[in-house]
Amino acid sequence: MVLGFAVVGQAVPWSFSSPLNAGAWMVLAAVPLGIVLLYFLKLRRRPVLVPSTMLWKRSLEDLHVNSLFQRLRRSLLLMLQLAFVGLLLLALTGPRVQGLARQGQRLVLAIDESASMGARDGDPGPTRLDEAKAEARKVIEAMEPGDLAMIVAFGTEARVVVQYTADKGLLRRQLDSIVATDSGTSLREVLELVAGLANPQKYLEPGEGVVASEVVAPRLFLFTDGGFADVPGFSLGNIQPEVVAVGPPPRAPGSGDRGGAGSDPAGDPEGMAGIGTDGTEAGSGIVPIPSDNVAILALSAARRAETPEEVQLLGRVRNYRDQPVVCRAALLSRAPGRPGLPDTLIDAVELELAPRSDQSFQFDLGSSETEAQYMVRLDVEDALPLDNTAYLVIGQPRRTRVLLVGTGNRFLADTLDTEAVRPLAEVTNIAEERLSDPDIERELAAGEYDLVIYDGVAGKRVPQANTLSFGVLPPGTDAGRARPVEAPLVLDWDTAHPLLQYVRDFAGIGIRRGLVLEPPTGARVLIESDQGPLAYAATRSGFVDVCVGFGLIEGQEFNTNWPLRTGFPLFIYNCLRVLGSAQEGRGIESYRAGATILLKPTIPGDRLEIFDLSGQRVETVERSAHGSFAVTRARRTGIYEAAWGPGPSERTAFAVNLFDPRESDLSTRGVVPPGVPDDEAERYLIRIGYNPVAARRIEAPTAQEGWWPLTLVALAIVLVEWYVYNRRVAV
Amino acid sequence: MAGVTSEPLLDPEFLTKLEQLELVSRKIFVGRMKGERRSKRRGSSVEFADHRNYTVGDDLRHLDWNVYGRLDKLFLKLFLEEEDLHVSILLDTSLSMDFGEPTKLRYGKQVAAALAFVGLVNHDRVRIDAVSSRLDEGLSGLRGRSQMWRVVSYLEGLTASGASDLAAAARAFAARHRGKGVVIVVSDFMDKRGYEPALRYLLARDLDLTVIQVLSQEELEPELTGDLRLVDAEDGEETEISVSPALLKRYRENLDRHVSGLREWCTRRGIGSILTSNQQPFDRLILDYLRQRGLIR
Repeated sequence: MVLGFAVVGQAVPWSFSSPLNAGAWMVLAAVPLGIVLLYFLKLRRRPVLVPSTMLWKRSLEDLHVNSLFQRLRRSLLLMLQLAFVGLLLLALTGPRVQGLARQGQRLVLAIDESASMGARDGDPGPTRLDEAKAEARKVIEAMEPGDLAMIVAFGTEARVVVQYTADKGLLRRQLDSIVATDSGTSLREVLELVAGLANPQKYLEPGEGVVASEVVAPRLFLFTDGGFADVPGFSLGNIQPEVVAVGPPPRAPGSGDRGGAGSDPAGDPEGMAGIGTDGTEAGSGIVPIPSDNVAILALSAARRAETPEEVQLLGRVRNYRDQPVVCRAALLSRAPGRPGLPDTLIDAVELELAPRSDQSFQFDLGSSETEAQYMVRLDVEDALPLDNTAYLVIGQPRRTRVLLVGTGNRFLADTLDTEAVRPLAEVTNIAEERLSDPDIERELAAGEYDLVIYDGVAGKRVPQANTLSFGVLPPGTDAGRARPVEAPLVLDWDTAHPLLQYVRDFAGIGIRRGLVLEPPTGARVLIESDQGPLAYAATRSGFVDVCVGFGLIEGQEFNTNWPLRTGFPLFIYNCLRVLGSAQEGRGIESYRAGATILLKPTIPGDRLEIFDLSGQRVETVERSAHGSFAVTRARRTGIYEAAWGPGPSERTAFAVNLFDPRESDLSTRGVVPPGVPDDEAERYLIRIGYNPVAARRIEAPTAQEGWWPLTLVALAIVLVEWYVYNRRVAV
Repeated sequence: MAGVTSEPLLDPEFLTKLEQLELVSRKIFVGRMKGERRSKRRGSSVEFADHRNYTVGDDLRHLDWNVYGRLDKLFLKLFLEEEDLHVSILLDTSLSMDFGEPTKLRYGKQVAAALAFVGLVNHDRVRIDAVSSRLDEGLSGLRGRSQMWRVVSYLEGLTASGASDLAAAARAFAARHRGKGVVIVVSDFMDKRGYEPALRYLLARDLDLTVIQVLSQEELEPELTGDLRLVDAEDGEETEISVSPALLKRYRENLDRHVSGLREWCTRRGIGSILTSNQQPFDRLILDYLRQRGLIR
């Protein structure tokens, strides 16, 4: 089934679409009635003195035989007034000739504002977003009275630009306000948003504008270049999507003048990967259509394992053209806290890219102990300049602060002092009695530590930190209950949990005594024994409590032989990485534009100000209940700095990149190239659920509006009435 | 309308017309002596007119004893009456007369003055009374041209007042004036109670009656438009009308019916009736009247 043309109505000679509802019509219907009543109730009669009213009375009595009808029939002014009002009412019914027979349509105009919409297909020429706006404007212009339209812009996330309204001016203004973002595209986002409005049984939020009624199925116009994944398993409900393809029309397979892989449906498997359809269309035989773009698809940094001070930059560039490209990738850097693009050239590499192929590149940066901000730029002219640059921030390595409260367990202390752990964590080891030290208590309450390890010592106060407890329940009332057991046997453990990543050797460890735990609600059991759960991970308002139900030592003796296994240091390392947020400290994270970015800097305040490359403040974020900062306005690519104070050391930076093979692939999707046989055409279509949706070019429905000639006639009647009244013609 | 009445009745034009009337009437009555005029009425002159049967109460002096001697039946001799002609003019001065350009009242005054003038110059006994809601006795027993100034000054002093009640006035007139003669009623006959009772009172007195109905141009051809509240000048009665062609047509029909009804009623009873509008020159009206009276041809 091909959707999209379902609503094109049968042309009928006359149809009506009034912008007024029944209530308004009831009121309006009273207008002519009121005129007639007022006509009879006319109070301002001109008094005229006459010799005698005898003959007049007699004449009136004669007329009274059929006076009501006579008066109405003979009163030209009244008739004209009634005709005037009648015509106005008729005009308000919104009659039209030869139009689409439709009744108050609901239109949802979804504008793709993703990065690829910023591409210019001709140089110079309008961007694809401009084309999409022009197409959407046609739909708005074709709106008729009673139609309601809503504009949704979607990139990675969909947002409602303007709620259902019939105000064309507002729609046009809001349409113009949409600018291309640097984000990817998610069709599912916009479909779910529209489905919520279109299918009230799915979601119905109060105050979400005019809820489209069940009888009027909204038409969803997707103005996009198709740079998104299919949406499998999504029920359209009563949405009627119409994809309006923006961008150059696709070429028929085999008709390409550039030849090469473009004409071979089965060719270029790498190109398939470049389209990035997550393998869902691998083998579907879609012809990868070349587009004029060269893009950096990845840029990351890694510290060498042997020399952790040294950092390597690794990147990948893809050529979407079906011609080879030779270009230069330049690495530039910028000092932190200084606005402007990175401009200090550090290194450059020459890249030779075969048609539709990937190429990796690498920069060695040497040792770097301070935060550094980098940009890689390709000097190539293509349709989408956005993805020719990539940004990277290598943060200052921050060590996780760990508080170990215990009885001097050597195994645990040693495990926290290995080569792998040392760069990650700064461990403070205290004895049990110091736990009630005011300084320690204050530090715990202030969240100075990332992780508190209770080694057989029960904490009294709930710390503002993640906890890891051995042999005791974590502090707090929500920690569940436990009962002591003897020699529990480990049966199963959750290898999918990040804490137990690579931990394989639980089988056969011996445990002398332990606690079988009753995990609190929502907790995830990590280790299951024959007598019950032995370990769990529970969330506590942004923090994680991990409880291992058996102690490591008991007095001077082993309680378990687990510390002697390989899995134990791995578990501790995982705990430091996951619970201690150690990975962030390595500062080589990169974020996608438009996505919500969670920052967890260890800063004293609850407020973070985000500045973009030019030093403009983008956003001020407050610390959430979970202790993190959610940055939502980083919509452009670039380097952002998050500052919590005025000093240069009170800021940290993060990089936002496109890194989306779909966006960088500028070939238009959703339109069947000419010459493709019908049975193969479906492959080219965008698939939502099980329905491929054909894209098309909008042709504005032409409808002859009938209200204005009626209004003109009504105006003419007013003029005639004016003439009659002033000249007293025949009254 | 009200301003018109302040004009003197005796303007030069009016006087000229009166002079012409005098000539005309002189020609008519030339050679006739006072008292020579033959009345249509049977009276007490010496000239025998007819016989009729005696009925109880008849004057025995008029019995024809010769016939009685011959036929043994009582017959009464009737004689043509030679009389001193009494000319009574009843002028309607009700408020409804105060309309028109010139007002109907002014026009009526001119008519009354002219008639009185004709009567005076012919040595008739002329009497003028004003009629509104009641009879205002005016001048009586005037004779001779020299009395004309009294007539004019009396007429000039008349103003429109009160509602018209022709019947009451006619009854009063009939009660007080037993004498015979000519009675001319000048009125618009716009009496909601009807003109018939009034004329019947006068008829009952066996008077030689003529009615002159004066209507203004506004009544004959009303030029009203729009939605109006008509106020009756006499009783203040209000009638709301929306002027339409249908209504105007009805009005004209009613007016015709009213006028022709009066004429027909009068004709049937031997009453002379003349319709005139205030636009018609009054001297022509007088000539019409005289022609109708058979005094001129």
